Amino acid sequence: MNAQVVEPGFLSKTMALVRKDVRVEIRARETLLPMMMFAFTVTLLLAFTLPGGPTGGRALRLPAGTLPASDVLAGFLWVTVLFAGLIGAARTFEVEREHAAIEALLLVPLDRSGLFIAKALVNLTYVVALQVILIPAFSLLFDLRLAERSGSMLAVVALVDVGFVVVATTFAALAARTRSRELLLPILSLPALVPIFIAAVELTSTIFAGEPAGSVAGSGWFGVLLAFDVIFTITSIVTFEFVLD
Amino acid sequence: MIRVNDLTIAFGRTVAINNLSLEIGPGVFGLFGQNGSGKSTLLRAIAGLVRPTYGQVIGRGHRVNLSDETFRRSIGYAGHESGLYGRLTVGENLRLFGSLYGVGPGRVGEAIRELDLGRFEHTRAEALSAGTRRRASVARALLHEPPILLLDEPYANLDDEAANLVSAAVEPWKAGERIALIATHGAKKVKAFADGGIILRDGRLVMQGRYDHPNTATAST
Repeated sequence: MNAQVVEPGFLSKTMALVRKDVRVEIRARETLLPMMMFAFTVTLLLAFTLPGGPTGGRALRLPAGTLPASDVLAGFLWVTVLFAGLIGAARTFEVEREHAAIEALLLVPLDRSGLFIAKALVNLTYVVALQVILIPAFSLLFDLRLAERSGSMLAVVALVDVGFVVVATTFAALAARTRSRELLLPILSLPALVPIFIAAVELTSTIFAGEPAGSVAGSGWFGVLLAFDVIFTITSIVTFEFVLD
Repeated sequence: MIRVNDLTIAFGRTVAINNLSLEIGPGVFGLFGQNGSGKSTLLRAIAGLVRPTYGQVIGRGHRVNLSDETFRRSIGYAGHESGLYGRLTVGENLRLFGSLYGVGPGRVGEAIRELDLGRFEHTRAEALSAGTRRRASVARALLHEPPILLLDEPYANLDDEAANLVSAAVEPWKAGERIALIATHGAKKVKAFADGGIILRDGRLVMQGRYDHPNTATAST
C-alpha cells in the first residue's frame, strides 16, 4: 500500500467536480428537466396571451394606458429565466446532501473557491442550456428577430447569467444546511438579484425594440451589470469559505 | 498525536462531549461506548466537522481547522453515512475522490481490491447493500492513506468476512506515526488487532488504555 500522490491543480480538481455534477444530472434529470418544464409552461401561456410582433411598435392595451410590447416581453423573458433558474439553484447542493457527501467534500484539500466555481459553473451550464431553447422560442413566438441583434443579446445574456449564478450559488450554499432551504433561497437571493434583473429587462427591452447595439452598450444599465458581476464574483469567491462554515 | 483538551460540545441543551481530555498516540484505537456516549461527535470534532463549544482538539501539532487544506489532507473520515454520491458507481466515486486527493488509478484499484469491491465497481452507490456501501465508504476514507483515519461504525451491517476485510485494510495504520480511530459497538473485532481502546460514557472518558495482550486493556486514566 503506497499511495502515489501527485498534487492535481486547482483547475483540474474544480473541473472534476463540474464533471461529477453534470454526470449526476445526466443520470438523475432532477434539475434541468423541472427548469425546462417551468419555462416551457410559462412560454406556452404567454404565447396564447400576448400579441406577437413587438418590434413594429405594437403596444399592449392595459387598464392604465399602453405599454410597448418589447418592455412586457423583456420582463416576461427574464422573470421566466429568474424563476426557472432558482428552481435549479435550489438543487445546487442536493447531490451533496444524499449520503452526507458534503462532509466528504468539505474534507477534500481543495480551496473553497474551487468548490464555489465548480457549483457556479454547473448552475451556469443549466441556465445557458435553458436559454438556448427559451430565447429562440421567444424570438420565434413573438417575432423578435433576435438573429439580427444576436451580438448585443449575447452580451447582455452573458452578463446577466454570470451575476445570477454567482448570487444564486452563494445563497444556495447559505441555505443548503437549513431545513427550509427551498423557502430560504428565494427569500435571501431575490433582493440581491433585483438590480441584475432590472438591468436585464431594461437592456433587453432596448434590444427587442430594435435599437442599435451601440445604444445597448452605452446604456448605464450595461455598466451596472458589469459592476455588479465583478463585485459579486469577487465577494462570493472570497467569502465562500465562511458561507460554507 | 491527537490531543483533546477540555473538550465540550453541546447541541442546544444536549451535551454530547463533556469536558473531555485525552491523548491518542500512533496506532489503531477502538472508541467504545453506548449509544449517545459521544463517540461520533468526538470523531467529527477531530475531523473538524463540528466546532467545540469549549476546549480544543490538536491534531499533529496543529489546532484542528477545517479551513486549513493541509489539515484536511491529513484526515480520512467515514461517518455514519457513506459520503458517496448515490448516482455514481463505486469506481466513479473512488476515482473522483482519488482525483481530488491526487491519488492515481493504481491506488484506487488497490483500495477496491483491499475492500473486495471489484464486483461492485460499476454498480451505483445507491444500489449497494448497506454493508457494501459501508466498505466503499471505508475505501473512500483510506484512499489517500491519511495520517489520521477516523471510522464511525465501519463494521455496521458487515458479515465476519467483510469485517475482516475492513480490519485488514486498517491494519497498516498500526505501523509508523499514523493514527486510526474506530468508533464501534463491535469491540471484539477491533480488540483483535487494535493497539488500544478508549471508552466513553455520557461524553466523558471512562477508560483509555493500550492492549498489552489481546483483549486486555490497562487503564491509564
